[in-house]
Amino acid sequence: MLDTIGTLARLGLAAVWLVSGAVKLADPGQTYIAVQAYDVLPHGLVGVVATALPLVEIVLGLALLAGVATRYVAGAALVLLLVLIAGIAQSWARGLSIDCGCFGGGGQVAQGQTEYPQEILRDSGFALLAVWLLMRPRTWLSVDGWLKGGRGNSAEPEHDYSGVAEGN
Amino acid sequence: MQARNAASDRRKIIVGIVAVVVVAAAVIGGVLWTISSRNKTEGQAINPDAGTSLAADVVQKRDGVVVTVGKPGAKATVDVYADFLCPICGTFEKSNRQQIEQAINNGQLQVKYHMVPLLNQRSSPPGYSLDSANAALAAADAGKFVQFHDALFKSQPEEGGRGYDKAQLTQLGKDLGITDPKFAADVNAGTYNEQINAAFTQVSNDPALEIDFGDGQKGFGTPTVVSKGQVVKWQNGGWLEQAIAG
Repeated sequence: MLDTIGTLARLGLAAVWLVSGAVKLADPGQTYIAVQAYDVLPHGLVGVVATALPLVEIVLGLALLAGVATRYVAGAALVLLLVLIAGIAQSWARGLSIDCGCFGGGGQVAQGQTEYPQEILRDSGFALLAVWLLMRPRTWLSVDGWLKGGRGNSAEPEHDYSGVAEGN
Repeated sequence: MQARNAASDRRKIIVGIVAVVVVAAAVIGGVLWTISSRNKTEGQAINPDAGTSLAADVVQKRDGVVVTVGKPGAKATVDVYADFLCPICGTFEKSNRQQIEQAINNGQLQVKYHMVPLLNQRSSPPGYSLDSANAALAAADAGKFVQFHDALFKSQPEEGGRGYDKAQLTQLGKDLGITDPKFAADVNAGTYNEQINAAFTQVSNDPALEIDFGDGQKGFGTPTVVSKGQVVKWQNGGWLEQAIAG
């Protein structure tokens, strides 16, 4: 049952990253504007981040989809989400009026049309999924499971007698 | 036991290799695609033919950073504030260029063009808005402002993307028949940059030019069209007829 929750969390988070990354990758000009609107990076880094961010998201999404190194990937996802939440929070605090650009779009918006609390809540929800996977990375249908020798995801820890010498 | 460990090790190696290949392919492919997409305008020649056809006695005169275009004696005047990178300005041009040109050719209208670097940071690398505004003023000195202006809007680069560099802007001038070496010199030196920026600062703080962005936010934006001292809602059809009428 807990494995099932974990699997849903893993696949859900994978979908989030894949969609988010793909939308950004499809329109690099818009992504550039979205990153620039946060007004927080030095000029030279805007292009680098605008190029790299969608790719990081897609790689995280693929890793979660496959269920590879789930605990570590969930940790990386959590860090990235915290950075993004911090970015949104700082633009809110500074009175910028922008769209976070998390799923496309981004850049300046009219002042009454910012959705900072919603965006932060949503990203926090995703962060909770990542925290679950960080603490309990065991899921169904994952490469991690396959690497454990195809035993499936039994609830008990495996007994590994490989250290015991033969004949004893 | 040992067989299981060997199989498990082999699986780990397979996963490791696949992961590295997939990530490398994704990253390399992604970076190449992104950079090429943002740099679409690199090496492109700007098409000089935008269908501009002004009557022979239309005068184009630069005064500071404002270019006035029209026949002497035209009664109505309209001010247009625009940025060459601004997509909505591109839309404005697309829907209004021909009617405006007709009104100018009929001697009914004078247009004062104010090119502003509002989106100067929004090209990657930044600077297209200012470079293009400067180049357009240099083109005005050679009597080809409207042709230059129309060509730049017809082949407008994408926001967030590369814009055109000074070499491309200079080539556009040449393709439009500008032979005076002063043109290229002005484009490269950014001769009018300071004036353009100073005028922009003034204009963006002018309460008479504010437009309403909706939801209570007001400020300076592009395109701004002014007729008879009032900012005009150009999105509503008929603004031009009203401007021309007495």
